[in-house]
Amino acid sequence: MLKVDKVTKYYNNLHVLDKISFQTNEGEFVSIIGPSGCGKTTLLKIINGLIKPTEGNIEFKDKPIKFAANNGLFGFVFQNPVLLPWRNVIKNIELPLEILGKKNLKNSSGDLLKVVGLDGFENYYPNQLSGGMQQRAAIARALIFEPPILLMDEPFGALDEITRNYMGMELLRIWQAEKTKTSTVIFVTHSVPEAVFLSDRVVILSKRPAKIEKIIDVDLPRPRTTKIKFSKKYFDLIECLRKTLKTS
Amino acid sequence: MFKKNFKNKLKELGIPLLFLVGGFLIWEIAVSVLALPEFILPKPSKIIFEIINQFKFFLPHLGITMLSTVTGYFIAFLLSFILAVIFVHSKTIERGLYPYAIAIRVAPILALAPLVVLWFGIGITSKIVIVVLICFFPLLVNTTQGLKTADEKALELLNSLSASKWQIFIKLRLPSSLPFIFPALKISSALALTGAFVGEFLAADQGIGYLILLHTRTFDTTTAMAALLLMVLTGIFFFLLISFIENKVVFWQKPERI
Repeated sequence: MLKVDKVTKYYNNLHVLDKISFQTNEGEFVSIIGPSGCGKTTLLKIINGLIKPTEGNIEFKDKPIKFAANNGLFGFVFQNPVLLPWRNVIKNIELPLEILGKKNLKNSSGDLLKVVGLDGFENYYPNQLSGGMQQRAAIARALIFEPPILLMDEPFGALDEITRNYMGMELLRIWQAEKTKTSTVIFVTHSVPEAVFLSDRVVILSKRPAKIEKIIDVDLPRPRTTKIKFSKKYFDLIECLRKTLKTS
Repeated sequence: MFKKNFKNKLKELGIPLLFLVGGFLIWEIAVSVLALPEFILPKPSKIIFEIINQFKFFLPHLGITMLSTVTGYFIAFLLSFILAVIFVHSKTIERGLYPYAIAIRVAPILALAPLVVLWFGIGITSKIVIVVLICFFPLLVNTTQGLKTADEKALELLNSLSASKWQIFIKLRLPSSLPFIFPALKISSALALTGAFVGEFLAADQGIGYLILLHTRTFDTTTAMAALLLMVLTGIFFFLLISFIENKVVFWQKPERI
């Protein structure tokens, strides 16, 4: 569905990405992992049309995506929630609709609020919410205009371990919820166990200039439950990923 | 919750008021004990009675001073805002004009004021121009700064949705700038009054500044100090009004006290 085709990026003379190519299928959860500073965020921004690649293309359903075009294809979640402090939860979530000039048909924000577990907090302001709740609001904001692809840049990196694990489970639940129209997730992370637990496939990048080191299939059953975290397969996959990362 | 709020409010207002009463008492007693003549230092009770008894006399003068203050203040706010918006969108214009904005600020207002009176006459216009000159710079600096401080990530978010410049301005830049604009508005509220006052001191036939000048020259110190006290009280009210509006508008950020 989404095709990253030989994407290369130079910042002046700094070679950041080197011919990155991979594809995601519909309904797939793909993680991107790699050493810090290797260009994961740059890659995500290129996919999102915020940065122009030096060479290469992004294609969606076999059509190249124009740079900086309002295509409504991607929801974006950052490491920090980036909520506007003068807007309450519901107004923050509906911000993309205002920008895109879309009407809030069938009160989808209300449904979405339930899906992300924030019902009852519509009128709260960001500074009244915990970090986890703020990030839920950010996820709801990314999903409100029903983009087919959700891009997440270390979305739980700023959360504590317990909240982080919980939010991982929640993300899977939201992603698989019937009301969510978003099918594909591209998820950048630093955490090997997180990548294994959440993904169908993990793309491992090398040090800068980043090349694709390996793409690993995670054939753990879905829905993923906490039980999986104690299975041998889960540990084997983690070990395999760590080894690849080490040699990269 | 309410009770606690009320208690805090009481403390906030009550303590300064208590000190004021104490200060007035010491002043009152000192004038009596030292037997100071009224034209040197009148008793505070005398000044207060003067205000109450002569209120009708003071009111039009206070009115005219406040009119030039508030008018100049708003014109300065409007001008600085427009210029700040232009600065944020054009680096060239900012580079070209910023040094001259600084020049206006660096030139002492006392040196500029006589020229302004020369050009605009002794009427209210010259006072308004002086107020604009004195308020303009702090407002310009803070508004420009404020419009530039929009969160990098929030900008990225809006850009990823292909938001227009106008949408970015109205939904992000403007609200982000409010916590910067209001402190400047508070500083300028005090400056504005000074500006009007300076103008009236130089040349005027009405206004609080004119009254003070006139009555200190005729050694009617009580009237002069009553006029001064009235102006100070109005200034404080003006400042508190802006603070109040700030608290309502910039509700998401508790402002630092000035």
